[in-house]
Amino acid sequence: MKYNNEHFEEVITPNVDKAGCETLDFYLKNENGYKALEKALKMKPAEVVDEVKKSNLRGRGGAGFPTGMKWSFMPANPVDANGNPKPKYLVCNADEGEPGTFKDRLIFTKTPHRMIEGMIIAGHAIASNKGFIYIRGEWFLEARLMQKAIDDAYKAGYLGKNILGSGFDYDLVIYKGAGAYICGEETALLNSLEGKRGEPRLKPPFPAQVGAYGMPSCVNNVETFAAVPYIIDKGWEKYAKMGTERSGGTRLLGVSGHVNKPGVYELPMNLSLLEVIEVAGGVKGGKLKAVIPGGASAPMLTAAECGVLTDYDSLAKAGTMAGSGGVIVMNDTVNIVEATYTLLKFYEHESCGQCSQCREGSHWLARMFKRILDGGGTQDDLDYIAKICGNMAGQTICAFADAVTGPALSSVRKFRAEFDEMILKGGLKGVGREESISHKMVGAHV
Amino acid sequence: MSNNIIEVKKPKEDLNYTSAKKPVHTPEGAEKPLPKVTIDGKQYEFKPGDTIMEVAERYKLHEEIPRYCYHPGMPVAGTCRMCTVEVEKAPKLMTSCSTPAGDGMVVHTRSEKVMKSRTGVMDMLLTNHPLDCPVCDKAGECKLQDYNFEYGPSSSNFKEEKRVYDEATTKKLSDKITLNMNRCVHCERCVRFTDEVTKTNDLVMVNRGWHKELDVTDERGLFNDYQGCLTDFCPVGALTLNDFRFQKRAWFLDKKASICDRCSKGCNIEVHSDKDIVYRYIPIHNEMVNGHWMCDEGRVSYNDLMNPMRVISPLLNHNQTLTSTSIETLVSEVKKAVQSAGSVQLVVGTDATREEANLLKEKSSAAFGKPVTVNYHSGFVTSSKDDKKLDNLLRMADKTPNTRGVEDEGLSALANGEVNADIAILFRNGRAGIPKMSANQKVVLWGVWTFDEIKALPTKNIIGVIPGLATIEKEGSFKNADGIVQKFHAAIIHRGGALSAHHVVGVMTANK
Repeated sequence: MKYNNEHFEEVITPNVDKAGCETLDFYLKNENGYKALEKALKMKPAEVVDEVKKSNLRGRGGAGFPTGMKWSFMPANPVDANGNPKPKYLVCNADEGEPGTFKDRLIFTKTPHRMIEGMIIAGHAIASNKGFIYIRGEWFLEARLMQKAIDDAYKAGYLGKNILGSGFDYDLVIYKGAGAYICGEETALLNSLEGKRGEPRLKPPFPAQVGAYGMPSCVNNVETFAAVPYIIDKGWEKYAKMGTERSGGTRLLGVSGHVNKPGVYELPMNLSLLEVIEVAGGVKGGKLKAVIPGGASAPMLTAAECGVLTDYDSLAKAGTMAGSGGVIVMNDTVNIVEATYTLLKFYEHESCGQCSQCREGSHWLARMFKRILDGGGTQDDLDYIAKICGNMAGQTICAFADAVTGPALSSVRKFRAEFDEMILKGGLKGVGREESISHKMVGAHV
Repeated sequence: MSNNIIEVKKPKEDLNYTSAKKPVHTPEGAEKPLPKVTIDGKQYEFKPGDTIMEVAERYKLHEEIPRYCYHPGMPVAGTCRMCTVEVEKAPKLMTSCSTPAGDGMVVHTRSEKVMKSRTGVMDMLLTNHPLDCPVCDKAGECKLQDYNFEYGPSSSNFKEEKRVYDEATTKKLSDKITLNMNRCVHCERCVRFTDEVTKTNDLVMVNRGWHKELDVTDERGLFNDYQGCLTDFCPVGALTLNDFRFQKRAWFLDKKASICDRCSKGCNIEVHSDKDIVYRYIPIHNEMVNGHWMCDEGRVSYNDLMNPMRVISPLLNHNQTLTSTSIETLVSEVKKAVQSAGSVQLVVGTDATREEANLLKEKSSAAFGKPVTVNYHSGFVTSSKDDKKLDNLLRMADKTPNTRGVEDEGLSALANGEVNADIAILFRNGRAGIPKMSANQKVVLWGVWTFDEIKALPTKNIIGVIPGLATIEKEGSFKNADGIVQKFHAAIIHRGGALSAHHVVGVMTANK
């Protein structure tokens, strides 16, 4: 009974440590490959959606929206103004840019066919005949591997016209982004896919009504798609049982930072953060200080708060979020002000600049943290950080502004003593630390 | 014909450059009650599809909902977050520019939460603004000033270095527009204007986030014909019109409505003047004529009237020299010459108002004491049928404002655009073309003329020049290319010796 969960088995990563696991042959021979597709194509689309709904699969991209419900929002027979039928598109969000997150990369490099199979099944479920895989610009190798997997799938007849004699056609196209973090936001991704500036769109209309190229579209994360074949193959009950009441299945957690064995772990959701750290070999080189449980946008947790379970609802209750599954572990050698500044610098650089508060606020926060590090901080600044965050959170088109305030606000609230010390003693040098190289690079792109 | 009749006819074609504002009460929906939205405690009817902003605009609510990126003539962006309002039962503040009003929706535009949010936006926008109001042309009509006065924080905690765009602090985007990027609030109205209204795509935002910078897409700079509009709707002093730059502080300007006479479109304008010196024209919103815009050619056309070479006192040819004289002397000399001539032709330029055309047609024979043939001449088109659009927006081929109005008087066009009488009286207001004539043609010039134009005439046989009032100096009406009659009043008082046509005809009739 692994991980104290009698139902647990690895859904996505049972064989990722084997040689050649990324090939079609391996997938077909050892992983029951494309059998779920065969099964799904014999089912009605509504039945597939129902199966996924009942499995309690929630979007693994960050927001944790129930996948089956998202699919059911797609209009059945959309028509344009002239009454002609409109195509529907399925988009795979492989713009994994959240700092601390690297789980989708594992799927791309080790088990791409699982995701392709999931996409074809999803395409069947929402009656779409074309899928786009939006890959982040920095993923050169991954894009090549995925392209090879798609080519193999075409050759084997799992993609293209009349898949497995079912009469269902499906095409997959890879689109490489240009490396903007914001393009992981689904409407910014659609804009980028269309060749426009990667700026989030005003909602409504939601992508299910007006998505890629103005057509109804459904955007899902890589891991979400990769879980679909298992659900269809083994049935929703088995998948749902592994998880908690409201979120089924397993999660891929990318554990990084001060742990002895950093990497991607497929874990059930009944583990606490502390247990997750244990799985990853325990804290390295000191005592646990803070954990960011779901990628940089998730508010930090102190060591005392790390008993929280890693499912969506428990983390939300703890005032943070499950996010994209990037667990960043920090031991007591880390200075929180410095660590938060590193994150804010990222956000300052990546804000798309549409909304006033986010554009100016993300910059302001980063500069303010820098000033505190340089020894120019005052106690007023700490109060003002909360004020700036209050002006930003929930006031903009997309959730980026909330993401900026996550680390900024939580660090000040939970580690106020460290800020006070930094301000009192006159910055980084005052507390006896060297300025890190990454901070010296400030200004290179400003 | 009475001066007070104003015909209003709807143009048949769809004016794609204006906002899709619909009238509130529709005849077909009369039996069905219109949905109602409650804004600040009062109920307002609206048409389904209206946004909260549109309802508030239509009923002219006591306080304007502040906005930077929203402009009624452009697609909604929803990015400045200044227009957010509180909608009951909605978890977050909603942007009023993009949220459709719903039946029974309760909206608060000035609740505590809303005001706090607006203060927050102002705080953010002002962090990097240079606050160079004393040297900024927009000061006095700047939305950043206005909204900061109303909503803004009185002080800022921003202690960081301000963002400075070194190369875009004074950057000429074209010979008409200067950009100061430091003042920009990134509302991107300008980008959307060139994308969606002029459809020339000549402006673009480069870079991302905090470094976002406005730039031109083409190496020749801005090239659309409506660049002046950029400065009208730029909420701050980022885009300024070179023609107006450093000319006058906005609060000294007198603002009077008039009609642009630079082409047959007849754009509605506001004449901004101080002590009867015109400093600029800006367009006024008129859904049926010009939407929110006007072209650059029209915008700077006030320079022709403010031209120091314009003739503004009666001139008589005295020994081949044009000499200043009194209107009575000039009129009697002109009448003498006309009465001794064989044939006399009066050419009315199509820049004359309908009233002037009517007056000249009815009264000129009596005034000159001799039968006078009256024709009209545009110089750009032979008749209004030849008039055509030059682009998808406003500019027309006929560069005179009243061809249709003059035609309505029953006048016939000047044959071949050439005068062929012993004496030709040329009446024009500075816009119509000058007819062709032989080198020894005797002419009387009447209306708005400049010495440059007079020098360029093929003939030197000028009997006299009767100075007239320009469009913005008089009242009258024009019938534009779409058949819409627009009446206007004098926007400035003419301070020279030019006289209205009615006055001159009166003097002529009195002079026996």
